[in-house]
Amino acid sequence: MNNPYCPVKGKIIDIKEETSNIKTFRLNLDKNISFKTGQFIELTVPGIGEAPFTPSSNPKIEDTMDVTIMKVGRVTEILHGLKPGDEIAVRGPYGMGYPLKEFEGKEILIVGGGVGLAPLRSLILALLNDRKKYKKLVVKYGSRTPKDIVYKDLLREWANNKDMELEITVDAGDETWKGNVGLITTLIKRDMGVDVKNSVAIVCGPPIMMKFSTFKLIDIGYEPRHIYLSMEKNMSCGIGKCGHCRIGPYYACKDGPVFTYDKISGLHGIWE
Amino acid sequence: MKQKFLKKQDLKIFVEALAATYSVYYPKKNRQGNFHLVPFSEGVDGAALGGVRPFEPLKNFFFRCREKVVDGYEKSEKAPANSKRPYCVMGVKNCDLHGMRIQDFVFTEGDFKDPFYIKNREENLIIASDCTTAIPTCFCHALEVPHYPEKGYDILMSELSSGYLVEEGTDRGAKFLKRNDGIFNEAAEMHIEERDHIRRHAGEKVEANIAEHGIPRRTEFGDIIKVNLDSPIWETEVKACVECGSCNAVCPTCHCFYLSDSEENGNKEVRYKMWDACMYKRFAHVAGGANARPHLWMRLRNRFEKKFDFFPQVAGIYACTGCGRCYSGCPGKIDIRRVLKNLVAEKNGKKHE
Ligand SMILES: Cc1cc2nc3c(=O)[nH]c(=O)nc-3n(C[C@H](O)[C@H](O)[C@H](O)COP(=O)(O)OP(=O)(O)OC[C@H]3O[C@@H](n4cnc5c(N)ncnc54)[C@H](O)[C@@H]3O)c2cc1C
Ligand code: SF4
Ligand code: SF4
Ligand code: FES
Repeated sequence: MNNPYCPVKGKIIDIKEETSNIKTFRLNLDKNISFKTGQFIELTVPGIGEAPFTPSSNPKIEDTMDVTIMKVGRVTEILHGLKPGDEIAVRGPYGMGYPLKEFEGKEILIVGGGVGLAPLRSLILALLNDRKKYKKLVVKYGSRTPKDIVYKDLLREWANNKDMELEITVDAGDETWKGNVGLITTLIKRDMGVDVKNSVAIVCGPPIMMKFSTFKLIDIGYEPRHIYLSMEKNMSCGIGKCGHCRIGPYYACKDGPVFTYDKISGLHGIWE
Repeated sequence: MKQKFLKKQDLKIFVEALAATYSVYYPKKNRQGNFHLVPFSEGVDGAALGGVRPFEPLKNFFFRCREKVVDGYEKSEKAPANSKRPYCVMGVKNCDLHGMRIQDFVFTEGDFKDPFYIKNREENLIIASDCTTAIPTCFCHALEVPHYPEKGYDILMSELSSGYLVEEGTDRGAKFLKRNDGIFNEAAEMHIEERDHIRRHAGEKVEANIAEHGIPRRTEFGDIIKVNLDSPIWETEVKACVECGSCNAVCPTCHCFYLSDSEENGNKEVRYKMWDACMYKRFAHVAGGANARPHLWMRLRNRFEKKFDFFPQVAGIYACTGCGRCYSGCPGKIDIRRVLKNLVAEKNGKKHE
């Protein structure tokens, strides 16, 4: 019987510094782990510990995998100190992933905050793979300051991509910043050119950002069942056994991590 | 099969036969009058198969409090064979058998199975026994859990005044009994009558507890958590809690754990699966400082929600067996019987204690 607690060995082959505390690691694994966009993995630093992350790369690419990681605690601190060639290990993929089938024929609004753009990068790349299946692709991204913006090169490319509309805002600008200043919620508007009735909204970011973005989406007419949220709870096993990630009748690791708002809106603790 | 009878003085021979294959544990009463599971070494002096549940829950043997689950990433890809001798646990009470239904649900069902638990569970021999009495903390009947085993055991051995009434439960149990047939006598009608008498007597004691403490029954539990999410009960009840996690550790249904990596003798590819407790603050903490349950009362509510709302929803069974251990083991004496009573009273719009 397979051991679900045992990871597959791999190596870091490239590291890209995104911001002062966010890096994207390109991994090469001894056995290919193919994932559906929105699914997550458990990344192990051997002898230290593991933590859940959502791959940020195009799910079509199978021989490498990117994960974009913010330095926030014990394991991520050590991850940030690793170099290309260092060994890591990966379990997964786990969870349900985004239901791309349900997005077909719809106008897709993607709302990201901070490092929350990581899973959304993978989603956007997956949508662009089959762009014709979707009616419209609108991306709104909010960052604390211009310095905290991730994937700067890719965002520049996306800004010129006719297959999508991209708008970025920062909470606080600086001398170099010429774009929008204001919270992400200021970009979610009735007149943003999205047919709300034929649209799905996908939100990922810090809890507080998800909360107010959701409220704003409801306010401009989105139905709760068309709002997709990432529930990044404390996770250990990733497979619905350890009990850590429970919200109401669900385990976020196995029933999520992406939930439509109608499924979770009545439950306590979802925004923390 | 026909029921058999084992004379009291022959218990030692029986346990020695078990010990040839199994690492045997049986319950024994300590000086304070509590039952504890002890390993069989030579004698069986003081073995008490009757009585009530021991302090240690049965889950300990299968969902171990610390178990190595990875020892070399390549080597551990398949779950390693269990090299330990299988366990035989004697005197197992029905509340513990019932608790294993939750453990089985968690670890053996769904898309991912836990090969360690499955392995541990497969090779053991469970010898269940009737409760011959009840202590004040027993309230199994309130959860519709009978005080005598019905299924889930390999052998049933009910303690009588002069010996044990023995029945098979599974093929494994039957085979063992057959191999050792010489030890037993045929059971007589009076043995069965005696067991029925003891059963009735113990059952009356549980009912007396329920009546004395006004403990509500399962039929009254519907929605007690949902309607009480913001009830003041949680804060009142949790006041004496010192966040020790004992209630989680002693509960036969609590199954939460975490995976912990370490380096052992230069080997970095080591991972342990260790018990965790939802009463600990860090249980739901996430990086960046957020916590879905920052306050102790929320964690008490969560513990009850898991048992009386989550499991009924996902598995169709309550994750409480009425064994009373969480109360006996609690330094703050947080009494699950009282909490349930107050939750039901609050739901019905009555004043609570
Ligand atoms: C589904 C999901 C997807 C995510 N995707 C991303 C992403 O793409 N990018 C990103 O930057 N972040 C992501 N996160 C958040 C990321 O998982 C956390 O930032 C990370 O867990 C922080 O780990 P840390 O050890 O550095 O932080 P800490 O604050 O030190 O610890 C975080 C958690 O790890 C646990 N832990 C501590 N010690 C151990 C140990 N010895 N063994 C096991 N566990 C231990 C603790 O219980 C604690 O709750 C995601 C989270 C989830 C749930
Ligand atoms: S046993 Fe009692 S004191 Fe300890 S965590 Fe549980 S409720 Fe709190
Ligand atoms: S919650 Fe308490 S009474 Fe119920 S099964 Fe667990 S330890 Fe026993
Ligand atoms: S992470 Fe273990 S149950 Fe979800």
